[in-house]
Amino acid sequence: MSVSMKTSSASVTCARGNDGRGGLLPRLWRGWREGGRGRAAVNRSTRDIWWRMAWRNLWRNRRRTALTASALSFGFVAAVLMMGFMNGMMEEMVSNGTEVVTGQIQIHAERYRPERSIHDTMGGREGLDVSALVAAAAAQEGVAGVAPRLYGGGLVSSGDETVGAVLMGVDPELERRVSRFASVFVEGRMPGPGEVAVGAALAGKIGVAVGDEAVLVAPAADGSTGNDLFTVSGIYRLGLGGFDDSYALLELGTLQDFLAMSQGRIHEVAISVDRVRDADPVAESVAGAVAGLSPDLVTEPWSVFLGQLYFVVSLASAMNSIVAFIIFGMAVFGVANTMLLATFERRREFAVARALGTSGGALGRIVVYEGLLLGVVALAAGAALAFPLLAHVHANPIDLSFFIGTYSFMGSAIRPLLTVEYSFVEPLVSAVALLGTGIVSALLPAWRVARLPPADVLADR
Amino acid sequence: MNEHAVRTEDLWKIYPQDPRPVEAVRGVDLVVAPGEFVVMAGPSGSGKTTVLNLLGGLTRPTRGKVWIEGREISALPDKALAQVRLSRIGFVFQSYNLLPVLTALENAEFTLLLQGVSPAERRRRVRRLFRQIGLEGIEDRRPPKLSGGQQQRVAVARAVLGEPALVLADEPTANLDSATADALLDVMEQLNRDNGTTFVFSTHDPRVMERASRLIRLVDGRVAEETVSGDAA
Repeated sequence: MSVSMKTSSASVTCARGNDGRGGLLPRLWRGWREGGRGRAAVNRSTRDIWWRMAWRNLWRNRRRTALTASALSFGFVAAVLMMGFMNGMMEEMVSNGTEVVTGQIQIHAERYRPERSIHDTMGGREGLDVSALVAAAAAQEGVAGVAPRLYGGGLVSSGDETVGAVLMGVDPELERRVSRFASVFVEGRMPGPGEVAVGAALAGKIGVAVGDEAVLVAPAADGSTGNDLFTVSGIYRLGLGGFDDSYALLELGTLQDFLAMSQGRIHEVAISVDRVRDADPVAESVAGAVAGLSPDLVTEPWSVFLGQLYFVVSLASAMNSIVAFIIFGMAVFGVANTMLLATFERRREFAVARALGTSGGALGRIVVYEGLLLGVVALAAGAALAFPLLAHVHANPIDLSFFIGTYSFMGSAIRPLLTVEYSFVEPLVSAVALLGTGIVSALLPAWRVARLPPADVLADR
Repeated sequence: MNEHAVRTEDLWKIYPQDPRPVEAVRGVDLVVAPGEFVVMAGPSGSGKTTVLNLLGGLTRPTRGKVWIEGREISALPDKALAQVRLSRIGFVFQSYNLLPVLTALENAEFTLLLQGVSPAERRRRVRRLFRQIGLEGIEDRRPPKLSGGQQQRVAVARAVLGEPALVLADEPTANLDSATADALLDVMEQLNRDNGTTFVFSTHDPRVMERASRLIRLVDGRVAEETVSGDAA
C-alpha cells in the first residue's frame, strides 16, 4: 500500500481526532474503513487498467479482431444450430415414437412386462377402479390424455383367411388424446360395442372391408376360448408395419367380455403429456397419484419402456457434445494462432511494461482478458445471428421432401423436415464453450508474454 | 540515506553466441551517488545499453553484483526484481516506448498505478508534473497523436513520477531535434536539481555529455575513462 494513502488516512483521522469526536476505537475503525475504501479503489483501478488495455488492444487491428471473432461467432452459430437440428430430429423421433401408439408414460401391473401375460392385469385378477385410476392420472399437471387398454392374442378370420393378431381393447374417446389410431382411419371409424377395427394390411390379408364381418378367436382369462363374430367398423393405416398388419382394435368393454374379464381389468394405461421433454417428472407425479389405488402399479416414462429409442436419443445428445467440442476445439487452434501473432507483434510493449515493474502474471492476465473479451464480442455477434435464425427455422422448418420422403426409424415415422428445437441449455453451454475457447486460446500467448525477457526484447534479440 | 544510489562490482555480461561468446560488459565497477547526473558515453557496441540493463535489473549479470540503494539485486527472483524496478528505478528509452493503447496521462501514471497510489493522488501528481514540463492539454491524447518531444517528455514523466531512486535513460535524445532535446534535458536537469533524482544516461550525444556531472567513457565493455563535471567536454 502506498505511503501517500496511509498518510492521507492518517491525516483524515487526525483531523477528526482534533475535532474531539469519538474515542480511540471509533477513530481506528474509521481509519481502517477509509483505508479499506482506498485499497479497494486502488485494486479496482489496477484491475480496470488491465481490462481497459485488453479492450483497446483488441481494437487496434479491427480487421483481424473482426475476422477472429467471426470465426468464433460462426462456431457458436454452428454449434447452436446443429444442436437445435439434432434436438428437433430427436424430438420428432420421440414424438412420433410415442404419439402414434405408446404415449409418453405407461402404467402396468408390476409383473406384466416383459411376459405380457393376459392374467397380469392391474390390481391382479380382481382388477381395480379404472375410472379412478384414469382420473387420478389425468389430474396431474402436464398430462394431456389418459387411455386404459386391454390386450389379448388371437386369430382374426374372414372367409378362408385367418391371421394371428393382437387384440387391443380401447376406450375410443380417451384413446383419441393419447394415440393416433382415431386420426388415421382410411375408411370407417373407431370400433363400438360388437365391432372391430383392423389395420389396412391385416384387412388386405383377410380380405375385409368396412361393414364386413370377421371372426375373432382368442384364449380367454378363465381358460375358455372366446369365439365371436364382429363387424368391421373401420380400417386404419398408421404407417407402421407391426400395427397395420397385426392389430385389431375393439371397444374396451367388448374385449373384456370376450376375454371373460371383469370391467376393472386392464393391462395398461397409456398417458400423453403436454411436452415430451417433461415425461420424466410427470411420470413421477402420476406414480405418486396412482400408488394408492393398487400396490402393484408401475409407472414408467418412455425412456424406460422404449429403451432403444432412448438409447438413440442419448447417443445423439452425446454426439452433440462431441461435435460442439470439435467445433470449439478447432476454433481454439485458430484463435490461439491469431493471438500468438498479435502478442508477438506487441512483445516490445510487453517488455516495456515488464521493465516498468509490471509482473509477468499481470501481463499474462491482459492477454487472457483479451481472449475473454474477444469471446464476449463473438458471443454477442453469434447470439444476434443464431437466435433469430433458430426462431425462424423453428417456426418454418426446412422442407427436405425434395430430397427424401418420409421414413420409418425404430418404429417412428420421421418426416423430411429439418426443424430445430431449442432450450436455454444448449445456447448456454455453447456460450460457456465459446468464452472458454477465448480464454483457453489466450493461455499459451499469455504464458509466453509472462516469460518475455525484457532486455532481449527491447534490444530486438 | 544510502551512500550509493547504485554500485556494481566486477560486472560481466557474456552472450553465448557462435562462433564464440560475446563479452558485452567486462568487469565494470561503478559507484553512483544519490543525486548524480551521470552520463555513460561510448561508441556503438561499447556496452552502454547492456550496463544500463544490468543496473535496471532487466537482465542478469553473467558475473558480478549490482546494488541499488545498498540492496543487492543481481540474485533476486523475477518477481522481487520487478518490484525493485517498480519502486526504485525509472526507465527512459530511446524510442519513447509509450504504451500506444494508453493516453498520455495514463502512460504517465502507469507506474503510480502499479505502485498502488490512489487515483486522485495519481491525477494530482501527473497534472502537476505535466504543468511543470509543458505537457498541459495533451493528457487525453494517445502516443501516435503526440510529437516525438512530447512522447519523450511523457516517458520522462512516467519514469520520475514513481519517485525512483534512480532513472536510467538509454539514448533519450537520439530521436529528437536539437531544440526538443535541449528542452528535454532541461526538464531532466530540473528534476535532478529540484527532486534530487539520480540520473544515469547512456548516450553519444554531446549535448547530454555537456550536462553530465560525471562522464564515464566505455570502450569494449570496460570503463576507459571517468571525468568529473567541469572537465567533461
